[in-house]
Amino acid sequence: MRHALTLAACLALAAVLPAAETVKIVSSLPLTGSANTQCTSMVNGIRMAIEEAGGQVTIAGIPYTLAYESWDDATAQAGKWDAQAEAANARKAIADPEVLVYIGTYNSGAAKVSMPTLNAAGLAMISPANTWPGLTKPGIGEANEPAVYRPSGKVSYFRVVPADDLQGAVGAAWAKELGAQRVFILHDRELYGQGIAKMFKLNAEKLGLTVVGGMEGIDGKASNYKSLVTKIRAAQVDLVYFGGTTETGAGQLAKDLAGGGVRAKLMGPDAFFNSALMSAAGDAALEDRVLVTFGGVPPEQQTGKGKTFVDAYQAKYGQMPEGYSIYAYECAKVAIDAMTRATAKDRAAVVEAIAATKDYDGALGKWSFDANGDTTMTVMSGNTVRGGQFQFVKLLGQ
Amino acid sequence: MDWTDLIAQCLVTGVANGLIIALIALGYTMVYGIVELINFAHGDVLMLGGFLVLTLISACGGEQASPWVVLPIALVAVPAFCAGLNWSIDRLAYRPLRHAPKLTALVSAIGVSFILLNLGLFWGGLDLAVFDDGRSASAKKSVPDLLPFSNLLGDDASVLITLKDVLVAAVTLPMLAALTWLVQRTSLGRAMRAVAQDPVAARLMGIDTDAVIGRTFLIGGALAGVASVVYALYNGAIDFQLGYRAGMDAFTAAVLGGIGSLPGAVVGGLLIGLVRAAMETLVPNGSQWSGTVVFAVLIVVLVFRPTGLLGSPLREKV
Amino acid sequence: MTRPSRAQVAWGVALAVVVALPLLDQALPARAALTERVAPILLFAILGLGLTVVSGFTGLLNLGAAAFMALGAYAFSILTCPIYPFQVGFWPGLVAATVVGAGAGALVGLPAMRLRGDYLAIVTLGLGEIVQDVLKNLDVITKGTQGINPVAAPSFGPLILPAAGRHYLLLALVLAAVWVCVALRRSRIGRAWEAVREDELAARCMGVATARAKLGAFALGAALCGLGGGLYASLSNSSLDPGTYDFGRSVIILSIVIVGGLGSIGGALLGAVIMVGFDTILIDELAKATSGETGSERVWAQPGNWKFLVYGLALVLMMRFRPDGLLPAHAPGAAR
Repeated sequence: MRHALTLAACLALAAVLPAAETVKIVSSLPLTGSANTQCTSMVNGIRMAIEEAGGQVTIAGIPYTLAYESWDDATAQAGKWDAQAEAANARKAIADPEVLVYIGTYNSGAAKVSMPTLNAAGLAMISPANTWPGLTKPGIGEANEPAVYRPSGKVSYFRVVPADDLQGAVGAAWAKELGAQRVFILHDRELYGQGIAKMFKLNAEKLGLTVVGGMEGIDGKASNYKSLVTKIRAAQVDLVYFGGTTETGAGQLAKDLAGGGVRAKLMGPDAFFNSALMSAAGDAALEDRVLVTFGGVPPEQQTGKGKTFVDAYQAKYGQMPEGYSIYAYECAKVAIDAMTRATAKDRAAVVEAIAATKDYDGALGKWSFDANGDTTMTVMSGNTVRGGQFQFVKLLGQ
Repeated sequence: MDWTDLIAQCLVTGVANGLIIALIALGYTMVYGIVELINFAHGDVLMLGGFLVLTLISACGGEQASPWVVLPIALVAVPAFCAGLNWSIDRLAYRPLRHAPKLTALVSAIGVSFILLNLGLFWGGLDLAVFDDGRSASAKKSVPDLLPFSNLLGDDASVLITLKDVLVAAVTLPMLAALTWLVQRTSLGRAMRAVAQDPVAARLMGIDTDAVIGRTFLIGGALAGVASVVYALYNGAIDFQLGYRAGMDAFTAAVLGGIGSLPGAVVGGLLIGLVRAAMETLVPNGSQWSGTVVFAVLIVVLVFRPTGLLGSPLREKV
Repeated sequence: MTRPSRAQVAWGVALAVVVALPLLDQALPARAALTERVAPILLFAILGLGLTVVSGFTGLLNLGAAAFMALGAYAFSILTCPIYPFQVGFWPGLVAATVVGAGAGALVGLPAMRLRGDYLAIVTLGLGEIVQDVLKNLDVITKGTQGINPVAAPSFGPLILPAAGRHYLLLALVLAAVWVCVALRRSRIGRAWEAVREDELAARCMGVATARAKLGAFALGAALCGLGGGLYASLSNSSLDPGTYDFGRSVIILSIVIVGGLGSIGGALLGAVIMVGFDTILIDELAKATSGETGSERVWAQPGNWKFLVYGLALVLMMRFRPDGLLPAHAPGAAR
């Protein structure tokens, strides 16, 4: 009789106790189009982070199932990221009460679209790839940046990559170190490329380098740059800087510079740092001719947790992760870590917990988020290409 | 490098680029002349031809392939492939719309363009060394440099002419001659001109218009195929989205020269190539404005000669 | 009163559904977000109507509709963004966008008068490229690729509209555009447009002021595209970078008009539903339903990578089986 009562009591309790609910992380990346390879690698990185957490997370003492959805902010019609798609993703995320963290975006232009909406709704946003300084830092972009992205007045946007003001400075310093005196600056006429080229130019001029001509914008989709290379050859510079990506002409430019008799090397920012560069230019054009700055330490140089990630990725997917994959992984890891530290299962608490991330020991090293939502990690690496592989040269910005 | 060197280099690069555009424009203008269709898929046929070139190079040894082996094979196989592809597209997508409004065929061409685009994306995902083992399908693919980079004028010369530039001329100019011969001297050419002028009258005269149109697509495709071989070897890289830009350039060249006019396509292509080369080499920040200048030239030409540089004035019948 | 035709009943039902949408939205779970998903459809309906006036009624092939959209968006943004001293507010900004569009249309129309058919098409295409280039390069005024933000949100005076309000605003503007198009089509100028489309030379011989008619068509079409652009900027809270208004965008608007039925107002609306709905809703749901890890890393193994093919195939098939569009202006096969 006593057993039956206990059993009944247990059953009654089990009936009223809720089953494990779900919390979600979503990502919004341009999976359709030329960034497909890079972004697929990033999605894989996030998946690995979720798996490492066992597909569950404990918030304020209660266990939840952790789910992940990968959303596309590019459309087939556009062939690249689309403002409406990104806005729709942001609104979808806000409307879904299970979503606690929004990982995105890849393009700074797309971030500009969704940041105000997400900030107004108080949903945490962590970017693995946005580098436009104006998104978080005052005084660099427009007069009203970054306040325009924070209508609620609070910081809810974070990024694990160093912004371009740092990368431009570091690149210029490295150029000077390598003995360059005259530089030719190009950009791809996109937000990211033009931004970093401007940063490089500012810093190069500050360091006393001669910038030949102004910043010249190229056509990212042109079939070749032979005529432009003639101009560069005539200018007799020591270094060519291209603010752009592998999707907007980096590889073709490297190839045409090599084939056009230009002795100067080509330097580029972190968007160069993926296998598409080798694929597009061929090993011969890149051999010891290209310099790439990259936030943090490259995959091969990773030690500790970074190396573990790279090895695990290679074991699971059979190839090296792309450059930004580890950033996406870190975004997910820090999101999960913040969720465990959150005081309650609501978005405001999660934002606070992310903002409070201090001395986080992750795959990128030990870092914190500062008051603007930027990472405190200022380590950047200088790399070159040898034998069809990126080769680490030295740490910059220390 | 002084001014004369710069201008000489401009000419070399401009003519080479222009001839490639001209070759693509010829295919465009031939098809337009006969069915009045802006074939948006033409650039993507070129793109797929480029992927075939790269695959052939891979089959012939990749980096170690000899140009003497690859070129003959490519110049036969790729035009054949592209011709067949173009013909099939006409048969499947455009022929059923022959009597539909013109814009319907245009949208159909856009649809075909998207389909070919996706096929190019998948092709780049094949597990071949030239495709980087298919890992970065969406990335640009480098074409191994079968022809050396070395300057034919000597290593220290200011002006750079390589075998690649020679290749462009060596392939394009005979093609132009062959095409002119075809259109002017053969019965097929006569039939094509007849159908272009007046399809109804041509049929009344006993010409099988459908067959002639089909053959025009074949030839247009073959031209795209040859252009793709030259494109791949000259530019040294292909990607699945190159069709859009190449098609746009070719279309502009065709219109600039007068749609339906074969010499016009060549003139248009050369003009665009030279204007671009001049902008990018001689003008500070020229690359930013070269697109605008090309179209501005086009608009100015069309304002003074509404049917293009060499186009025949349209005679409207009441 | 005569019984309403089947078509009229169908349109009535559709209108009722769209009007009731925010209420439906309350009933469904928040994830459906119907109002948000329908907003781009309404926006592109306005753009489609603009192109219908130019290409449908008057038969002038315009491949650069995105250029007028861009000019409208940038005009709106420059006049309403706090970075600049103007800050005129939402409604004046929208009016300005429409006027700028009209002005640009008239400007383009003038030299284009002499051009026929596909030559006009390439000029409009070139215009699209030029506008994009100019917007990118003149970054002192336009902020180049950064885009201008923030811009005025849809509002009535100081009251900023919520989602439902925005929905009704868009719906009202679509209905206003439809009314304008219907009214003009029935008027003298509409008949002039039709005459120009069918046989321009004959029209001129009959004393129709063809040049004025073409100019008017261009101006009105561009005005509607400018209005659409201004709305687009307002809803995106930014002018967005000039690359958003590229040839691909013009192609989408063209496809809307042709898939729906060239020259038909209802066709433009239906075309917007299909083209925009297809890309944003259907493919999205398909990708979500089939997402998840597949064993292979091959590019064709991921369903999302088939988007281009599906889209292209849909276009080809639609044109194959409905060459006159889904709601043709004339009954298919009828004598023109």
